[in-house]
Amino acid sequence: MSVFMDLNLSFCADKSRLRSLIETAAHLGFSTVAVNYTFEPTAKKKQEIPAPMPITDLMDQLPVVQGRSRPIRVLNRLTVVMSDSSHFRPTAPEYRRFDLLAVQPTSEKLFHVACMTLDIDIICITVTEKLPFFFKRAPINGAVERGVMFEVSYAAAIRDATMRRYTIANATSLMETCKGKNVILSSAAEKPLELRGPYDITNLGLLFGLSDGDSKEAVSSTCRSAVLHAETRWTASGIIRTTKTCSVTPIQQEAPPEESDAPAAKKAKLEDE
Amino acid sequence: MTTDLDQNPRSLLVSERSSFRDLKNRISSQVEQLHLNYKVSLLLPEYSFDRSVPRTRIDEDNCVSLTPKGHLTLSLDKDSFEVLGVEGKPSRFNHRVKKRFVVSVDLTDSCMAPGGRGYLRLLAGLKSRLRLKMDFLLSHHPGGGASLQTLLSRHDWSEHRPEVSRHTLTHLSCPALLTSDLLSCDPHSFLEWLGAAHAHISCGNTSSSFLSSLVCPEPKTALSRALSVSVCGLLLPQDIHRLLQQIRVYLEESHLESWACLTVHGFVDSPVSWGANEHGVLRGGENFYSLLMFHDDVYYLHQATGAHDTCPP
Repeated sequence: MSVFMDLNLSFCADKSRLRSLIETAAHLGFSTVAVNYTFEPTAKKKQEIPAPMPITDLMDQLPVVQGRSRPIRVLNRLTVVMSDSSHFRPTAPEYRRFDLLAVQPTSEKLFHVACMTLDIDIICITVTEKLPFFFKRAPINGAVERGVMFEVSYAAAIRDATMRRYTIANATSLMETCKGKNVILSSAAEKPLELRGPYDITNLGLLFGLSDGDSKEAVSSTCRSAVLHAETRWTASGIIRTTKTCSVTPIQQEAPPEESDAPAAKKAKLEDE
Repeated sequence: MTTDLDQNPRSLLVSERSSFRDLKNRISSQVEQLHLNYKVSLLLPEYSFDRSVPRTRIDEDNCVSLTPKGHLTLSLDKDSFEVLGVEGKPSRFNHRVKKRFVVSVDLTDSCMAPGGRGYLRLLAGLKSRLRLKMDFLLSHHPGGGASLQTLLSRHDWSEHRPEVSRHTLTHLSCPALLTSDLLSCDPHSFLEWLGAAHAHISCGNTSSSFLSSLVCPEPKTALSRALSVSVCGLLLPQDIHRLLQQIRVYLEESHLESWACLTVHGFVDSPVSWGANEHGVLRGGENFYSLLMFHDDVYYLHQATGAHDTCPP
């Protein structure tokens, strides 16, 4: 098993609330969390993709995870709510500032496109309303093969009884088609009270139709696979990554690109990235 | 709903009835099997006797254990195992993806002698490749401290004593254990009641209380007092044997038709349990045995494990 992760903590402009969200997550035992910036482009106005807040601005020292001696790891994630296929622009440079990319498709055609072609890590399943389409096996198998994960979030179920019905209904229909593979469970919490501990989420997964082992994996190793998939998106064949150095020496006019080519598999855990 | 909600994760309960006077009783071998015990709880009816242990979790981190027979077990996650570079096997409890690996080393083997092939490879792996750093909890037999001194002088260490806590429970309703021949209730209900008694949860199940709906199994009697003692720390099978002898002496000397119940819990995060078998945590890592003893030397032994465990001997 790997460490427990919650890859969906809603971003809010109130820094103290975000800080207490991260502290609660560390107290509950999550070793990695991702702050989720939701972007919903509309046809009328041109909107800018939000820039992620650097974590050093938020808190000086990250809280230590309860029961372990390491501080919690905080990632940045962007979720694009797609109501049209032009809403997700694969080559947008703003996307590079985020560690994880997710989309929330709102129609069957967009779901198919997201599963088969888009270069993303996570596909969010709507939990706040009745699913407008049925899941078909072909796009889901295509997504599983590419390493894209399906996400079900549970905070809506905590807030409201009707949402609870929709969450369970949508989640069970997903599990019937995907057989429990490539599923992650996360909170989408806006307040610290909406977070639950990893073993509680494992139990919740049983209600969604996951088996015991799948349910535990949905909070640990499948999340780890999503994070590793995101890291390899910026590498060539998942092995070599190039970064530009900013230093300009007096001799050279241009800074040469630097190559760090340690194979990802043999390197120890990438903790500071 | 596609899954059957009645299916719970597997938990095993093995029950056995025997007597201390029976020459063929396996109690000493069964006590020996669980090497790493963290808690012993004792419930004495009608009797009025270092929680801060550093912890790594077996389902998240790397865990190491060393048994008295010289068996070193490293339970590692995928990244650590690949970096270490020593032969090992994937865990029996891996689900879809192999993410936990177990490296078992027999330190008494000839190739593990200092300077041997296996020894050098493991040492190189741990020192230069993986650089695993852990806190260890050690225990020694009385009189064996001298040999540990050379090891301890090279590292930071602190001594801990087992924590003993005792509570006198009053007005406890308990199952009427008729005689040693027949237990009045089934093992599951008895163990549930025992756990509630040790955790001081009332089994009244009043309609105004929403905290607990646990009940004492019928038929039941009321005890005016009972003593609940618990000892926490790294406890060895030899200590458990000594405690068993003391309890047997007490039961013989007491004139009442009495009984005593001793429960020994293994560590939740231990890589091994019941001998050298692998242990893991799915939702709970319980592995314990409970010994219900009567004054005529008859005992009932209940051994319980969770989902990621082998069947106890």
